[in-house]
Amino acid sequence: VIEQYTITTTPKYNFPQLALNTRLPQQFLEQSLISLNQVQNTKFFNTNQQQFLQYHTIEHQPSRLQINPTPISVKPNYQETTIAAVDTSTIKIGETCTGIIVGIRGATVWKQNRKYQYTRLGPFIFHITEENKKDVYKTLERAYFTNSYEMVHQSAPSLMQMPTRLASLLERWMQIMMAKTIADGLILLDGSLTCGTSDTPVHRMKEILFQARRNNSTVLAFSKMTTLRANGYLITDQLPNGDPPYLLETTGLQFKPPTVLLGDVYVARLNKTNYAFRLDIDRSTAFTQRLEAIEKLVGNDLYKQVYPETLRLAHILCTFTANEVIAMQHFITRKHGIQLINRPDMHRLLFGPFGRGETYS
Amino acid sequence: MKLYKKEGNILQILGFPTENAEKGDYLLVEDQDSSRALIAQVIDIQFAAVPGVLEELLRTLPDGGEPIQGEDIDPMEIAPHITYIQDASLLVCKIRATLENNLLSPSSSWLPSRSQSLVKKLSIPMLLKLADINGKLPIILGGTKDSSLLTIDASTIDGTLNIITGKKGCGKSHLSKLLMSSLIGYKATVVVFDLNGEYSYIGMTQDGKRNMYYDKIHVLVPSCNFKVALDQLHLNVVMGILVHALHLPGTSSREFRRVWKQLKEKGRLTLNDLGEEIRNLKCNQHVRDALTSRFHSLVNSGFFTDAHAEATLLEEYLLKSKEQGGAIIVNLRNTSTIDRQIVVEYVLGKLVESLQSWKLKAVFLFAEEAHLYLRETYWDDIVTRMRHFGIFTTFITNQPDTIRESIYRQADNIFLFNFTNEHDLDVVSRASRVDAETVRSIARDLPPRHCLTLGRVVRDFPIVTRVRALDLKTMGETRLFFKNLN
Repeated sequence: VIEQYTITTTPKYNFPQLALNTRLPQQFLEQSLISLNQVQNTKFFNTNQQQFLQYHTIEHQPSRLQINPTPISVKPNYQETTIAAVDTSTIKIGETCTGIIVGIRGATVWKQNRKYQYTRLGPFIFHITEENKKDVYKTLERAYFTNSYEMVHQSAPSLMQMPTRLASLLERWMQIMMAKTIADGLILLDGSLTCGTSDTPVHRMKEILFQARRNNSTVLAFSKMTTLRANGYLITDQLPNGDPPYLLETTGLQFKPPTVLLGDVYVARLNKTNYAFRLDIDRSTAFTQRLEAIEKLVGNDLYKQVYPETLRLAHILCTFTANEVIAMQHFITRKHGIQLINRPDMHRLLFGPFGRGETYS
Repeated sequence: MKLYKKEGNILQILGFPTENAEKGDYLLVEDQDSSRALIAQVIDIQFAAVPGVLEELLRTLPDGGEPIQGEDIDPMEIAPHITYIQDASLLVCKIRATLENNLLSPSSSWLPSRSQSLVKKLSIPMLLKLADINGKLPIILGGTKDSSLLTIDASTIDGTLNIITGKKGCGKSHLSKLLMSSLIGYKATVVVFDLNGEYSYIGMTQDGKRNMYYDKIHVLVPSCNFKVALDQLHLNVVMGILVHALHLPGTSSREFRRVWKQLKEKGRLTLNDLGEEIRNLKCNQHVRDALTSRFHSLVNSGFFTDAHAEATLLEEYLLKSKEQGGAIIVNLRNTSTIDRQIVVEYVLGKLVESLQSWKLKAVFLFAEEAHLYLRETYWDDIVTRMRHFGIFTTFITNQPDTIRESIYRQADNIFLFNFTNEHDLDVVSRASRVDAETVRSIARDLPPRHCLTLGRVVRDFPIVTRVRALDLKTMGETRLFFKNLN
């Protein structure tokens, strides 16, 4: 028996609507409000640094990594295919005496019937302190897991890691929702299929791949940057002469436990510009399906910017702009009575104009 | 609102979407520590340079496609805050005065506190009260944006040079009729050079009944009910007509003066005798030809007559108006260019004569499109010499560049309607009581029938007014071919 999901047609778009698990966003909202209520009527310092989530697993240099120099030619396949991508970003919008205030937002973008559409979730604003970080993280993680999973023992991340870890939770949740929702499509991930790390446990990545396979979708993970090298050179720098689009196969990539790679790694050069990306494809996918997936991606998604447009839009839509940061500061000032003050710049105080270089670095 | 920047007499104030401020509004920037406040007028509204707005707008556009559609799930409701920040405005304001101990001074030499100053809107009634604009002889110009009335004092038009200008069909003539009728109400003597015959029915209401001004309006139509006999004319007036309107050369002028004096001594100052005298004049042929051609111009104008019964004594109307107030409308509608100049020369000459001899105290002259009948040298005459005799002129024009720059420089009041043309705005902004930024910025956005009042009448606080309606038969509408065609 093939489990069939309810398809609902809405006036906006014809997108498979799954009965979404809303526990995580609700928990995000609740935890956000709880954390902000703890700091009402205090002051916070104006600092903001944006971080985009890209899972840079510490990839120990595998000595046996090799690139097959024979390109696998890719012929664009224009058959209508749903392509979807997720990205999240987090930004530190201030510091209090006891912790940090961060904003987190996620975006899902899909291309269907030649149109791009999106759903943005957030921003969620958290006040994270040494005292509440464990509670916040554990509560959210508990909300993330479905009943079929057991909570994996993990210590709470450090305060500075918390923004990316929270964003990671949101991103993985959105990815799994997407995998559950899309049938016969392509799911693009920002990053690799490496897991077994603190922010991407193996079972979480496996769940995403499993749900995608169940819906006959293919997961393609693009890394904007990679540290993988073959023969001492970055794999994305070893492009043979040949007309793109093409893939280069790699072999011999292994990681030390607990890091696990759930995909096969390729170098993808998808248009004529001289840029290539590391592309991870679910290892359980047959080669013909992998190739077909890449061909459909090239035939359906825009490639003017070298990178898949769906993934690019997801990144753009989740990114916080400066005026959004001001708006979030305005929100916490108005709604939670937290007063914004500028922290004195010690470099400038101590070194005057000579402190500038360090301040701006 | 927050004070952001001050450069010279320009203030930049940060405004938020909930604070409605528009061009022309007045703001009070109160520095309570120094017990002073700046009064500033909004002359432009811009978007505040909020960082990141461009990225915000750009990101909804995919690479080469239509705007991306989507849904924002914003459980914390931060979107309104984003909109609030994005829509923040920058109000560019011109400092008009400093308020200290309830007294106004035109100074802008101090700097209010940026962090402590309180910025709030200053209502027009409050401004009028502070500036003491309401007077003992009120003229209600119209309503301001905050539904209060702008009332000026008639005495602030007394002894002044005024300009009413704006593009076609925006209500210039309407305002001049309002001023004119208000002045008549205060028993002033008004003379109107009515180029299009639109003031002729000012004594009637819109439904054709007589109004309170009916008996005070005297419409003179040259060659019809407005003719003069030669012996009623002073030689200077005739010479003015011949030299300025008919361009009689100097030698011929001297000859004419001699002929005129001879006829006057003989008591034969009629058109017939003048013609006969010129025909028989023993002098240079060119001089005689010049005089003959001018004589024929005078005769052909139909403005001069030998029949005393037909002649109209302008002085009588002027004296009648002096007692009860009134307007003499000189209808120049069906008068040719040369004849128009003859009539205007005559009227102005007569006015100066009456004022010089103190038969009249002062006259308010309303001149529509004066460039069409006023000779070059009269412009300066009117604003300098004639003002001292008591002729206080209001020029009404839709071509501001036809009025000389020197006139703008000396204008005391300017009633400015909408202009979109940069050149027109440049011309008007040369007026000494006006700052160019205000004119360029506010006048361009004025809706029809709205007027920016500048100068003495508003104590140099430019105020935008919607000119009030009048129950007068205005006749100023353009005749349309397609009107009521169906």
